[in-house]
Formats: sequence, C-alpha cells, structure tokens
Amino acid sequence: MYSLVDVHKRYGLRTVALRKLNLDIRPGEFFVLYGPAGAGKSTILNLLAGLTRPTSGDVRRDGASITHLPPERRNAAMAFENYALYSHLTVAENLAFPLRAAGVRPAEIEVRVKSVAGVLGIPHVLDRRPGFLSGGQRQRVALGRAIIRPADIYLLDEPIGHLDAKLRHRMRAELKALAVDMKATIVFTTTSSKEALALGDRIGILNAGRLEQAGTAAELYDRPANTFVASFVGDPPMSFLNVSVRPAEGGPALVTGDGQSIGKAPSGALGRGGLKAGVRSTALTLVDPGTPGALAGQVEVVEHLGHSSIAVVLSGTDHIQVLLPADARLRPGERVGLRVDPTRLHIFADETALATDAA
Amino acid sequence: MARITARRLIKRYGAFQAVHGIDFDVADGEFVAILGPSGCGKSSTMRMIAGLESISDGQILFDGIPVNAVRARDRNVAMSFENYALYAPITVYENIAFPLRSAGKDAASIDRAVRSVAEKMELTALLGLKPGALSSGQAQRVGLARALVRKPAVFLMDEPISHLDTRQRYRMRRFIKSIHQEFGHTMIYVTHDQEEALALADRVMVMSDGMIQQMATPQEVYSRPSNAFVAGFVGEPPINFLDYADADDSGLTIEGNRVALTEPLKARVRLIGPRGLAAIRPHFLRLGAESPVRLQGRGFITEELQDHNEIFVDVGSVRVAIVTPPGLRVARGEAVTISVDPEHLLLFPADVKVKEHADEL
Repeated sequence: MYSLVDVHKRYGLRTVALRKLNLDIRPGEFFVLYGPAGAGKSTILNLLAGLTRPTSGDVRRDGASITHLPPERRNAAMAFENYALYSHLTVAENLAFPLRAAGVRPAEIEVRVKSVAGVLGIPHVLDRRPGFLSGGQRQRVALGRAIIRPADIYLLDEPIGHLDAKLRHRMRAELKALAVDMKATIVFTTTSSKEALALGDRIGILNAGRLEQAGTAAELYDRPANTFVASFVGDPPMSFLNVSVRPAEGGPALVTGDGQSIGKAPSGALGRGGLKAGVRSTALTLVDPGTPGALAGQVEVVEHLGHSSIAVVLSGTDHIQVLLPADARLRPGERVGLRVDPTRLHIFADETALATDAA
Repeated sequence: MARITARRLIKRYGAFQAVHGIDFDVADGEFVAILGPSGCGKSSTMRMIAGLESISDGQILFDGIPVNAVRARDRNVAMSFENYALYAPITVYENIAFPLRSAGKDAASIDRAVRSVAEKMELTALLGLKPGALSSGQAQRVGLARALVRKPAVFLMDEPISHLDTRQRYRMRRFIKSIHQEFGHTMIYVTHDQEEALALADRVMVMSDGMIQQMATPQEVYSRPSNAFVAGFVGEPPINFLDYADADDSGLTIEGNRVALTEPLKARVRLIGPRGLAAIRPHFLRLGAESPVRLQGRGFITEELQDHNEIFVDVGSVRVAIVTPPGLRVARGEAVTISVDPEHLLLFPADVKVKEHADEL
C-alpha cells in the first residue's frame, strides 16, 4: 500500500499544488486520479515516483516512509503525458530500453517487445523512430515502455488522452484487460469522466490540490460528497436547482427560487436556505406543462447527439439538462413540465459548485 | 448576416493540395459545423472564408457576391479562437464595447448592445472587472461577447471549447447555441469533436482528405451516413465495423456467422457485391437471442459507466462494443450471443482506408 500522509506541495513561493492531502493506493488496484487541469494529478504521480518531494508531509509504502528514497530505488514505471521518448532510437529499442537496463536476455526482450506492441496495436511501426510517428502512436509507445517491465507501481499520466475518439475507446478496454491480467498497482490520471468510471477500481476526485472524495465509481456516482464531485462524475453532468426548505402541508418541502415545490425536505432541515438539489439528466421525465407536481420550465436549447438528445430547460434561474430519445421533437422557447424522481435527488449544503461555476 | 457559398473551392500549399474543389452553401442565419480529423482541410476552408488564406482556385461568395479579392478586414467576419486577446487595462464592459466604439456607434446603442450580449453570456456581474480578475472560462466568454456584439456577416469559430472539461463544455455549448438562437448570425464552427458538431449545428459538413464526405442534419449523418468514413467518425461510442463476405439474397457471412437480410439490405448487397463492410452502432446491439440476426462471440471486458454499461465482445477477430443498461455483465471468455437490430445494420463497400485509419493515428 502506498500512502500520501498530510502532503502539502508548493512550487516556488505562491503556487500550491497539493493541500494537506491524504490518500491510500491499495495493492493491485487500478486507481484513477480525476479532476480538471491544474488539480494536482501529475504532482501526485511525481511524488509517488520520487521525481519530486513534498513540501511537508510524508510518502509511505506499507507504512514506512519513502519520501527521501531516490526514484531508481522505488521500482516505479511511469508513462509521461509528453511521451519523453528517445528520438535516436527506434520504437522497438525504446520499448526494449527498460528491459536492457534490467539485464533481461535479448531473446526474452524480443518476445516481450512483440507482445506489448501487439496489445497496443503498433507492431507495424517497430522499426520507425519517434519523429516518424503520429501523436497517437508516440503515446502508445510511451505507454508500452512503462508497462513492458515488472514494476511495483505503474504511474500513467493521461496515457491515452491524445488518441482520437475511436482509438481511445478501444485502448480503454485493452488497458482495463491488461490491468486485470497483470494484477498490477496502477495510478492513472485523466480529465474524462467516462474514462475514470470505466477504468477505476477506485477513483480520487481532485480539485485545486484537494482530494474531494475517493471511492468506487458507484459510490461517487450515487453518493457524491459535494457538488463538485456531483458535477464532475457523469456525462452529461448533474444539474442543480437552488432550493430552500419551507413549511408545507404534509411536512417541510424543498422549494425552488421561484416558489415551486420539488418534494419533501430531509427531516430536520426546516428553515434552511441556500441548498442545492442535484438531479441527473436520467432522473427527469418530460411531461405536459402544468402537470401537477411537475417543475415548470421553458426549453432553452436542444442538442441532437445521435442516439439521444439533450434539452436544457430553464426553470426559474436554474438550467436543467434532460436526456431525451433521439427523435424528441422539442423547440426552443416551448413550455414544458419536468417530473423529478424524488428518490434520485441529491441535496447539498456546500458551496464548491459555486466556486467552480465561476471557472 | 450573409449566405456563404463555395464553388469548386481549392487550396494548394505548394505542390500539396489541402482542399480539392468543394462546393457548399450555408444559408443566411444557419449554423454549420465543419467536422473532421486533423489534416482534413476544415481549417483551411474556414480560413479561406475568413480571408486569412488566399483561394487557390474556385470562389467564395457572400450573398452571391465573390469575395476572393476582398481583404479579411473588409469581409465583416468575426473569428474566435481558443485564445482570446483581451485588453488588460480596461474593464470587461469596455472590452466588449471596443469594436462598437471603433465603428463610431453612439453611446446609448453601445450600452444597449453590451448589456444585452452580457446578459446572454451571464457576464452582467463581471462587467466592471478587468481581464486579470477573470477565470479562463470567463475570459473566453468575454472574448466571444466582444466578437458577437458587432453583428458580423458571419461568425467563424475554430475549436473554441476543445480544451475545456466536460462540465464547462456543456455550459459553453449552451451559451453558443442560445446566442445563435438569439442573434441569428450565420455561424461556421470547426471541430474534430463529433459530439460538439452534432450538439450545436443545424447541419454538419463532414470532411476528410480535403473533400466533403457528407453535409446534412445531425440526425442524418448519424442515422444515414453516406459512407464508411462518416459512419466511423460520427457516434459515441464509435460504430463497430465487421467485414462480410458471401453476400447474396440469402444473406451474408460475418466472422463465420450467417446473417439473414431485410429487403433494403438485399438491395444494398446487389449494389455493393458479395464482399463489403458491415457497420452497426453499439446502441443497436443487444445481448441475447431475441433477433433472428445474431452473432456469436466471447466476452472481453465489461465497463460500468453507471448510467449504462459498455461491453466488449470478441466476434471472430473483431472486438465489438455493445451499449447495455446498467447491471448487465459478461465475463472474460464467456460465450455470448449478440442480437443485431437489422433496421440499423449499415453496409458499405469494403474501404481499406477506414480500417487502417485507426492504426495510423
């Protein structure tokens, strides 16, 4: 088990990359670090690899500090986002490099290089130098060089982020299968919600150097700790209604800014204002305007996405995304009703979403 | 606002021809997305419309009038890029007002225009700030607002939101689309992202290798792609391609599976011949034997994306993706029957380029 304990990381005097971060990476798990650019994902990989040291706090392995252990003694394999390939070596030589350095026999090296090149779909470019490869091919070579040798931990910095959509989708499945086969401990960074959910045994959500929540895909999706996590996990993202709790017949109700009730409030919440009710696009049903109990709104835009459509509905001052069938015939400006599945409402009292709204 | 027409438009860079004599029309007030991979000629096409690139051959017309010889700044074209150069010493308000002041508009109409566009872009609260105090997303919205406010004949956007995260992208899409609905500019939007193109545009112009592959509504390029390239480039997750052989009226063979054909597909087979490329979207495949059109395979990986699952199954030598409701799983190596919705099976002439495309990226 790898642990970051109270890790604080500053670059220079002003740039804070990580703030009092605590994180455990369990043996054999595929751990995804997910968050926007600049959240601190690459810094964590560099700390685990030993390429940088925390400003304060400790990096541990199985409880013992490795904070001051040099990179060459950590047996960590890393794939860098900017590839960092040797330009004077062929693809085959780049892939073989870590094995030669470890003294593996040439015959064994050849077998392993061919096998990795096959998995990554690059066997036909083994004789080329990196300068003659496309960006997607270079990225796969960088990934191959990391996974080709046995290591205690694999640190993969957006290793499929530069591939085109088709290849990215295919490589995602390959990588997941490979991880299952290798039973390796992998830390993987991404800015894609789909990639995080598809790959991670557990996912850590980072925001401005803080770990907002760590858990399985299902935990993050069903029980997001705050509005930042809620809005970052899932595509399309969760929509939020600004609500407060008001007394009503049958108990306190959640009421929107323009006075519409969207359901019962959690017990003991009476008198609270400034809450956010999060709702996923799949938890809403479109009904006729004026349907009792439904939220009234007006269609702002309709997006046709091939297999489905997304309508953005303005209700009061809240913009709500609704997932619809591909053949939905809605027009901007049309008045609609939205029925909210009350069992799928997420109530938040935090302000993290407001902070990210400004971004 | 203007109608844009291209007639046999060609762009050459020395001996290399980037755009091969394309024809298209963009109606007044229409939103067209030019979609394609890098190097397909989409940016060259847009830059010729803007006047930033010379036209090697052919014509571009605004409202029927050739503009080949008209300089960029005289075409009344607004362009936005990923990076916006805002004027740092002046406020957001003054930044947005700048093009109107340069055009000599009176103060009252400037104020009206600035406030109207700022409200639409949710910038009203920021009007008094200077650019240094803005986040990158806010700065981008100010840049867009400044480009919009002068009511150009055509508004050109080149990958304006490709660097944003999922949530910001959805927001910017909403802004861009509602602005188009509000102001009705003719808009041409260049992107490599099929979801953006489908979400935003009235019509999508799919390009590859300097040629237009299809120009149609988002629903059409998705449901009735004109060729295998369009089928493969549009749709998420990407469409599955499988070679077929021995095709005749009795059916066709895909990776050892004999598949019966509907009448429209028989007609396609007569046109294409005994061998070709079958394509089926992951959304139109199901686990189980409910359809008479079936494929046999072995499970590879199940991805649980919470609101749905994506299951990869090896059918012969081809890895096929299937979208299923949450909860369904397939184990590695498990024998699986896949049902194909024949309504959504597409047949194309065998296209070597499409198959190799993925490897060369």
